[in-house]
Amino acid sequence: MNLKDRYLLKSNDRWKSKETWQPLIISIILIISLAIMHKGYWEATTETNPEEVWENKKLIKDENNWTITFEEDVGDSITFKGILRTAPKFEVYMNDTFIPGKFSEGEAIIYSEELYGKTMLNVSGMRILVNDDLSKKFFVSEVITIKATLVSNISTFDNNGQLISLEREGWVAETEDISLSSTKDNYFFTTELLILFIGLYLSLNRIKNLSEQTTMIWHLAKFELNQGIRSPRMIVLGVIFTLFIIGMGWLLGDLQNGDPESAFFVQNANGALQQLCFFVFFVVSLAAIGVSVDSFHKERQANTLNILLAKPINRETIVIGKAVGLTLVVGIPALVAQILGLIFMIKAGEIPSTSGIIAFIVCGQIMIFTLVCFQLCFAIAARSGTDVVMYGLGMWLLFAVVWNLLIYAISFAIGIDVTADDFENDPKFQSIASHIGMLNPGYVYQFSVGLLTHRTLAIDLEGIPGWLILLAQVLWPIICLRTATKLFKREVKG
Amino acid sequence: MGKNLLRIENVKKTYRKYNLFGKEISKFSALNGLSLNVEEGQIYGFLGPNGAGKTTTIKCIMGILETDSGNILIDGMNIEGNGLYFKNKIGFLPEQVGLYGRLTAKESLQFYGGFYNLDESEIEKRGKSLLAKLGLEKDSNRKVNEYSLGMRKRLALCIALLNEPEILVLDEPTSGLDPRGVKALRIVLKDLNKKGLTIILSSHVLTEVQEICSHVGIINKGKMIREESIDRIRKEVEKKSIKLLLKVKKFSKENAKELSKDKKIKDIKQKNNGKHEEIILKLKEENIPWVTDFLVSKGIKIFSIEPQKNSLEEIFLKETGDD
Repeated sequence: MNLKDRYLLKSNDRWKSKETWQPLIISIILIISLAIMHKGYWEATTETNPEEVWENKKLIKDENNWTITFEEDVGDSITFKGILRTAPKFEVYMNDTFIPGKFSEGEAIIYSEELYGKTMLNVSGMRILVNDDLSKKFFVSEVITIKATLVSNISTFDNNGQLISLEREGWVAETEDISLSSTKDNYFFTTELLILFIGLYLSLNRIKNLSEQTTMIWHLAKFELNQGIRSPRMIVLGVIFTLFIIGMGWLLGDLQNGDPESAFFVQNANGALQQLCFFVFFVVSLAAIGVSVDSFHKERQANTLNILLAKPINRETIVIGKAVGLTLVVGIPALVAQILGLIFMIKAGEIPSTSGIIAFIVCGQIMIFTLVCFQLCFAIAARSGTDVVMYGLGMWLLFAVVWNLLIYAISFAIGIDVTADDFENDPKFQSIASHIGMLNPGYVYQFSVGLLTHRTLAIDLEGIPGWLILLAQVLWPIICLRTATKLFKREVKG
Repeated sequence: MGKNLLRIENVKKTYRKYNLFGKEISKFSALNGLSLNVEEGQIYGFLGPNGAGKTTTIKCIMGILETDSGNILIDGMNIEGNGLYFKNKIGFLPEQVGLYGRLTAKESLQFYGGFYNLDESEIEKRGKSLLAKLGLEKDSNRKVNEYSLGMRKRLALCIALLNEPEILVLDEPTSGLDPRGVKALRIVLKDLNKKGLTIILSSHVLTEVQEICSHVGIINKGKMIREESIDRIRKEVEKKSIKLLLKVKKFSKENAKELSKDKKIKDIKQKNNGKHEEIILKLKEENIPWVTDFLVSKGIKIFSIEPQKNSLEEIFLKETGDD
């Protein structure tokens, strides 16, 4: 048998061994194909790199005659797709925002009174003049499509006593030419979700005794909840983290009313909510270590697993049941703490968006499930109780305490000057920090809440697209749970 | 002959240890092609020295461990892929009884019963009857961590019997029990067997196996060495000579010569321990009365007569190569 035949035979065997999950695998392949088509659709119908168009403009200064030209022809209309890099409300021309008659090279325009009430949008670095006030219509970080037309005009301005005639080309658009990219994205996302659900449904239908095993998951979860919630360790941890979250909630609420110049000033309620997410993560991850120590490792020592494994229950069911139960052990007190923290934050400050509040609670519980599964991996694989605690604490330190140092180190290694003033506002640094943040369940929680405080999912948060945040939110718990079940199956296999 | 209920065919199992990153760091071969047969209604004793593979075999039967190769068939059906179905038909008592200490006996039964699709009232009814049968009724509301080892074993047996299994598998069931506990367990097991339950038990206490079991399988180094009914072993032993240790007084060399002349005695050894004369005779079991008659007729005082090794132990040691 040659190498190709052997490979085909092996692939065939592997495919057959995944019989239960074949529909889900097929649906994921379809989704990936659809995502590529989705990307292709935007590439084909819009200009997805507005910055390049903007950068290719030419400013020719020929004594008193200056010209600004683009590679495109005047009268050309292009639909651009990009991110609103700045808040449109700060880009509306008002009589106190500029000096009429002054030339702005950044915006490639001569300020005049005609501009009052118009908005100079920053679409992925490209400036497009919209003949309307867009404040409260569009918001920073939203991904939009905008059909702009290249126009030309001639005007003069005073350049340090010298009268300059500027023949200027510029992009203009009307409000009705702008739309959120999610109006189209939603068709793709809905189809993708539908395919995913069909694949998942068909796969779940192939699982033997699914309803019995689901009942057993709940049976095991209730048992874990009853055992765990009454443990002295959990009571102490629960009280501590509730007080901590309440305190931080109140503080973040109060900081919204503080001095805007202060380093600790919190701009709005949604921002405060995002910050509260981190503090929830900070204490809840510690509680996840506390409860997971008691699970598989201690059970193995006490020989309770042998009787459990002899019962008509799948190994996966045992892990899922325990994970759900331990999530409830941490999640119920955390839910109380989250609600109390929110109440205190709202009392001292403003009310965050409803979608943000829901995301804060729901994504918080998903984050707890993820952390519990993560810690269960250690509890299953570790050889001693000390190992479980040490690995858990190591991860907690990494995720909750020294993560920023890690980002600084990586940024420094790839050439970003992390000693410079205001380096944290450097888009390159932000993009690196956000992308690395996807590897930290705490940051994924923060980003998810940040994303869901917006009215659309077509958002770019510090260089991270909304779909990537949602994908990370979904993948983290699945990967952690899958790893835990795989480790458990390997352990009990002997 | 009853129907074949459990059949193990050429099962192999190797234990592997991995480090945190999934790399194999050591392995140990526990079962090397083990085969055995258990028929319906038998009490099957599973004998073997420490490390022979008894517990591994039991864990493989229970689906706690996965085999590397070979088949385990119950009622002619392979348990691989049907593990959950068969676990409903088997009860299991592990050697190290691990129960949740913070639960009471009643709560433990409710918890474990929940895995058998039994409703709470049915679990309570069955549990009550089992607790009464095993003498735990009065302690049913006490927490398990207040129980003695014997009580825990009895509770674990209740849990094993809760699903009214067809086969009961017990791993070293008497280890750690006092003689009273052993006797009580023996009575319960015999009673359950009379009601039709097939029992498989592993043990290294040979007298216990001899007392309870109807069939014996001896394993060593992960392989079945011998499978036989107890009756057949008994008959075999009866045909063979046994060693008899006598503690007597006034036993002379002439008496020894006289005894050894007779063909009934195959060997005779004699020593003085200061207090008594010790005589070790090799003879058939049926000739013991003849020996005692002889000694009494010669006016020799007999303080004790005891077989030096019991029959099964002799076979066990011979088969496992330790004699």
